[in-house]
Amino acid sequence: MFDLNDFILRKAKELGFGDVVVLGYETNRRQVRFANNEITVAKYWHERKVELFVEKDKRIANTTITELSRENIERVLKTLKKNIEGLSPKEDYYGIAEGPFRYEDIPETFDKSIVELDEPNEYVERAINAALERGARRVAGVLYTDHDRIYLTTSNGVEAFDEGTGIEISVRAFIGDLESGHGTNSVRVLRKFDPESAGRKAGEIASLARNPEQGPEGRFDVIFDPLAFANLLSYMSFMTSAYAAEAGFSPFVNRLGQKVANEIVTVKDVGNLPNGYGTRKFDDEGVPTRETTIIENGTFRTFLLNTSLARKYGVETTANAGLIMPHAWNIVLEPGDYSREELFGEVKRGIYITNVWYTRFQNYVTGDFSTIPRDGIFLIENGELKPIRNIRVSDNLLGILDRVKAMGRETHHVHWWEVRTPVTAPYVLVKDVGITRATK
Amino acid sequence: MELLEFAVEKALELGADYAEARFEEKTGTHLAMKNGSPEGLSILADRGIGVRVLVDGGMGFASTNVLTKESISEAVKKAVKLAKAASQVRNEPIRFSEENFHRVSYKVKMKKDIRDVSPEEKLELLRKIEEEVKATGVNVPMRYLMYSDELWKKEIVTSEGAYVKSKIPRVSVVYNLVVFENGQMEQAPFVQRAFSGGFELLERDEPWNWAVKDVKALKRLIAEGRKPPEGKVDLVISPEVAGIAVHESVGHPYEADRIFGREAAQAGESFVKPDMLGERIGSEVVTVIDDPTIPNSWGFYLYDDEGVKARPRYLIRDGIINEFLTNREYAYKLGQHSNAAARAINYNREPIVRMANTYLAPGDYSFEELIEDIKLGVYMVSFNEWNIDDRRYQQRYIGREAYLIENGEIKHPVKRPILEITTRALWSSVDAVGKEVEFYPGTCGKGEPGQGVPVWMGGAHARLRNILLRY
Repeated sequence: MFDLNDFILRKAKELGFGDVVVLGYETNRRQVRFANNEITVAKYWHERKVELFVEKDKRIANTTITELSRENIERVLKTLKKNIEGLSPKEDYYGIAEGPFRYEDIPETFDKSIVELDEPNEYVERAINAALERGARRVAGVLYTDHDRIYLTTSNGVEAFDEGTGIEISVRAFIGDLESGHGTNSVRVLRKFDPESAGRKAGEIASLARNPEQGPEGRFDVIFDPLAFANLLSYMSFMTSAYAAEAGFSPFVNRLGQKVANEIVTVKDVGNLPNGYGTRKFDDEGVPTRETTIIENGTFRTFLLNTSLARKYGVETTANAGLIMPHAWNIVLEPGDYSREELFGEVKRGIYITNVWYTRFQNYVTGDFSTIPRDGIFLIENGELKPIRNIRVSDNLLGILDRVKAMGRETHHVHWWEVRTPVTAPYVLVKDVGITRATK
Repeated sequence: MELLEFAVEKALELGADYAEARFEEKTGTHLAMKNGSPEGLSILADRGIGVRVLVDGGMGFASTNVLTKESISEAVKKAVKLAKAASQVRNEPIRFSEENFHRVSYKVKMKKDIRDVSPEEKLELLRKIEEEVKATGVNVPMRYLMYSDELWKKEIVTSEGAYVKSKIPRVSVVYNLVVFENGQMEQAPFVQRAFSGGFELLERDEPWNWAVKDVKALKRLIAEGRKPPEGKVDLVISPEVAGIAVHESVGHPYEADRIFGREAAQAGESFVKPDMLGERIGSEVVTVIDDPTIPNSWGFYLYDDEGVKARPRYLIRDGIINEFLTNREYAYKLGQHSNAAARAINYNREPIVRMANTYLAPGDYSFEELIEDIKLGVYMVSFNEWNIDDRRYQQRYIGREAYLIENGEIKHPVKRPILEITTRALWSSVDAVGKEVEFYPGTCGKGEPGQGVPVWMGGAHARLRNILLRY
């Protein structure tokens, strides 16, 4: 595919474009969806495409080319040229990274046995059975296998290749209508894949959640399961993009160097995380991915940047391009030193939330939001878990980060339908979380 | 067309009991402006073919964007193989309802073709919003504006004789405006104006007027806004708020695939069960309709992605649960015909049960009549934060622009009134509905991988009695 990239780059330069980035993809993805203990649909996707970014006198444009004949490519380039010549420039555009770069292999990101895997239904059945053995009656979920090849060529001397695989499962187990639990497992190499662990967790939580009663409202100490806290951090990751901050979607605006969280909170983006579902060797302009500390001991250190935004603010890129919008690869919340038992022991009366969904903001700049616990929710009273239902977390994102009291020492890598940016998080205990419920 | 027929024939040859092939091509332009600076141009040019099959009661789907017979043949083989394997892990086979199929072609006309308008002229639309917002004198330090137009061309061929060809252009403007006055910040995020049709629809809609109204209202809210009244009050919700409420608490829970558990691990299930058809869920003045056929609507289509002819669906009629949204798979389970709710967002997605344009049907009250006997209440004009549990029973909507109603008159703004209520209580509390219907666009999320589909939400004003608001 590099031949094609070179052809596109050459033709683009002939047409007078300045910065050019050609990012080719070959992807093979498979999905097995299941519900009510049976497979509802199985899918396969094969895609070949080129994402193209061009610049001319600070006028920028991008497109995706899926019809990759040379005639069509030339036609697309001419169309881009015609369209951006009359367009107003992006005055705050400052270019792309200067290559070439050296890339390190990242452990546990490619496994040939996933590419060669013929039939993944066995894993689905194992996950379903694990949930049923823990008391579930109905099990639903999804399994994916991924195989991606990425080819990057830029006008600044970058030629980079990455090949990755992945396999992941998300399992939700039900007993009745109101009793459910959820578990996930996302890995890049087959030997680390443990579909039963997802099924077991889903089944166990569903079993514990039998006969829930209407939950209370007020302020409570809350233990967030890694699955639940990952949801909040996944939303937060978007807000740490410099682009989102400029566009009015971030409570971190004007807070560089300021305290935004409790001092025990350190949040990183790790683009080169071994076995991370979002891991890649390089960003969209070819900069080798790295570890970036976003919040260090409670202090906000940096937004996520590409080269253009970094130059705008006179700093170094964090290797998070997105040529238009920088974004996180894998968010990691550094763990604490509590065992799970010790963490629950800290809470005399509080709430354990195993999962949340539908996180929405009233105001992105202040961080006011609510999110809805789903699956098992438990009132913690004197070491006992009592199932409850129908409550809502109504709070402020920075307030939650500030009131983090303790964290577990084990972390879980979470990636599923509601957590789109992969997040590694421990169990997190937050003080005085706002809980509401319906008034009628 | 030839490739689609090839795909269907190939699937039948390989043992499929049912096959459907869908070609989709999307072309268009996207532009953004951040704090007055153009962010560049994005050109959309995407196309491919998706193939869905039933084999021995198992369902398989495969897609490719390499449009050669070889690649499509490969996709068909994969779909059939996956379906066969899936059939081994089923308790009962998937069956489709019987339907009448058509060979049809339709398109939405553009008076001002989006392909004839230059990117700079499209950018002018955003520039006009910038200028008009600036001219208000309100301090709006963060402004993010997006324009998009897309032309969706689609062809569907099924092994049961359906052939549907369509061409639907869609135009949209979205803005995020952050108002900062007196040391306080209020926001109008992701506000959208959107239609199916040509560029002229956005020009006629004048999105800058909506933006101006929003920033002025937010400034006034900061300057004059007070706490909402305590205790039980009456609440009048606008067509925009009624729209999100019918979408979340009527449209979604009436999706038959959710009712039968197919979406359980993602968007969730439903508090509604099949035997609740005919049961009362709201007061007699509540009728909720989902209608894909409204001309120029954001959720417009005339035939769904299984080739079934679309019609208005009366989800609630006079307070009674009347019908669910179905595709062929779930219509069969219910012993019904499909009401054409199967939609796929692109060639690489399976059609699933979706809404189109959902609204609270009009009653016979003027706005003045709705508020004239309210001693103490709140009028919620627009909302920001909202969410609902995955059974669609406990929802919350927080007002962005809202006002106190006192002795039948609209008074000062109130800050962030919160309606947090169960679905049954919400629709049972409505005692009067306005005469005029308005629609607001949105992107409805569902499916895995995600399929954000364009929908309109709206309806008439509604009056709710005895509501305890949070704040």
